Amino acid sequence: MIGTPLDILPYIRGVQLILVGYNGYTKGSRLENDKIVREEITRATTRVRSHMQNVFDSQFKGGNVDIARAAKQCMEECDYLIEDVSKAVSGMEHAFLSGQRSPTNKDLKKLIKHDHEVIEMVTKGVNLANSSEHSIATEEGNSKQIIMQTTQMISSCRGFFGERSTVLAGLRQKKVKK
Amino acid sequence: MTDFRWRDSPDTIARLVNAENIQTLSTQQVMLKPNEACAMIIDGRIGDILTETLLKSMAGGFSRWIGDKMGVTANDRRLLFAMTGPMDYWIPFEGQIADGEKAKGYANLRLRMNLEDVPKLLNYFANNAPTLTREGLITIIADEVNARVITPCLASCASAADLREGAFLERFEMTAESEMRNLLSNLGFTLLKAFPITNPTDMELVQKHRATVQAKTAGTEVNVESQLAHYAQTEALTLARIELETNVARAHARGQVTIELESELKEVRAKEAHWEAERGHERGKMELRVDEADAKSKRAMDMFAEVQERKSNRIANQQDFQNQRMEQQNDLQTKMMEMAANNGALTPEVMQEFLRQQTAQKAVDGTASESANISPKFCSCGTGLSPGWKACPSCGTPIA
Repeated sequence: MIGTPLDILPYIRGVQLILVGYNGYTKGSRLENDKIVREEITRATTRVRSHMQNVFDSQFKGGNVDIARAAKQCMEECDYLIEDVSKAVSGMEHAFLSGQRSPTNKDLKKLIKHDHEVIEMVTKGVNLANSSEHSIATEEGNSKQIIMQTTQMISSCRGFFGERSTVLAGLRQKKVKK
Repeated sequence: MTDFRWRDSPDTIARLVNAENIQTLSTQQVMLKPNEACAMIIDGRIGDILTETLLKSMAGGFSRWIGDKMGVTANDRRLLFAMTGPMDYWIPFEGQIADGEKAKGYANLRLRMNLEDVPKLLNYFANNAPTLTREGLITIIADEVNARVITPCLASCASAADLREGAFLERFEMTAESEMRNLLSNLGFTLLKAFPITNPTDMELVQKHRATVQAKTAGTEVNVESQLAHYAQTEALTLARIELETNVARAHARGQVTIELESELKEVRAKEAHWEAERGHERGKMELRVDEADAKSKRAMDMFAEVQERKSNRIANQQDFQNQRMEQQNDLQTKMMEMAANNGALTPEVMQEFLRQQTAQKAVDGTASESANISPKFCSCGTGLSPGWKACPSCGTPIA
């Protein structure tokens, strides 16, 4: 992608709020930006894991195995997401006559939007994890429910991130009518 | 440019390389795969942490040598390579459960290293060899795992059976997650999963042996029961066979008797048939004779009836003839009397003569009819014969 199309500019700005230096998938920096995005997702997931780790420690040592078990499950889900992200595909530029398909500008635009949505989703997960820890600390609200919501969010994020290979492969997902 | 290999064994986890020790003419490069990372420590500071890239000109080469000589490069350059992907570590343990029984086995820890945690390995390399292997890591963490995780978890098991429960596995993992964080975090590792694999304890072996012996005994018992059942079946089969043979022989003998009786019956039936045929033949003959006799008697009766009819006709004719003659004579005598009366010749003498002749005439007529009944005849069969018959009506014998 040589220039930055206007229609994806809001998404790039959104990612740039989190990742300074992100400039979309412009020519020459696509793989680097892709790596930055994945590292950001990993970092955010690690944050979720850290929150859950704190919850787990306090609850396990306090004898509340029920919540500790839920937190452990969330930690495992975070581990799965981190492993998925670290071993995710980046796509590559093939030689012109190689017979392989390289990502087109349309694919890259879609990928930028997808990255933005994944980061948003993980950020929501971070907020939920933070809320759960806060809920336990202040003993307000249903802590277990928030932990399980966090697990669900991370799990959804994992599934949503899995679409990345589909986007890079140029396949289109049918839009669901609202 | 040559490729630098930092890992030559699958047991190698991390390695600290001093770039100053790589003095080659050609520049060294290293390829970092997604599960490999390299932290660059330049002049005691932690620089970049690289992964998924080709690290060109990491050491060696003429230009770097020139730079060193000119003092324009860093004084100390170290490269810390590490595997970031999940790896399994098997830590042997030996402990006691609550009832004093010894438990041996392995604790499996699955560890991963985050990219930003790679420099933490410097804590290890500060006091150890520049290469970290599985054995090295196990040596470091084994004591703490045993002390903080395995011993408390084993102590909470009342018996060997508790070692096999899911609750024990869960408690083990949670304890490992909680208690091992300090050490693993210092080394830069993250615990993903932990579970114990406990060998069978002595009591479990005894139970296993007992179960084996019981199974063997039960097997023997089953075999004996099976053999007994087999013998019983054989006995029943033999008895059934003997009874069957007896029944067959009996039936055979009965069949022989039946056959003999049937043959006798056949003979009797044949005789009966023969006798029946003879009787039929005799009956036929008798019926023929009776029919013949009936025919003869019928014919005789017919003939007798015909004779009787002829006789009655003849008698009637004779009677008619006599009546006619009597009427003619009466008419003649009446006419004679009338003529005599007319002529005055009717005297008593004439009347007397007339009566005398008339009586004589009647006497002649009566004698002729009575003479036939005087001498009756009989046939040889005893049947009475009437005058005029030509054969006997009973036996058909012609009458002479």
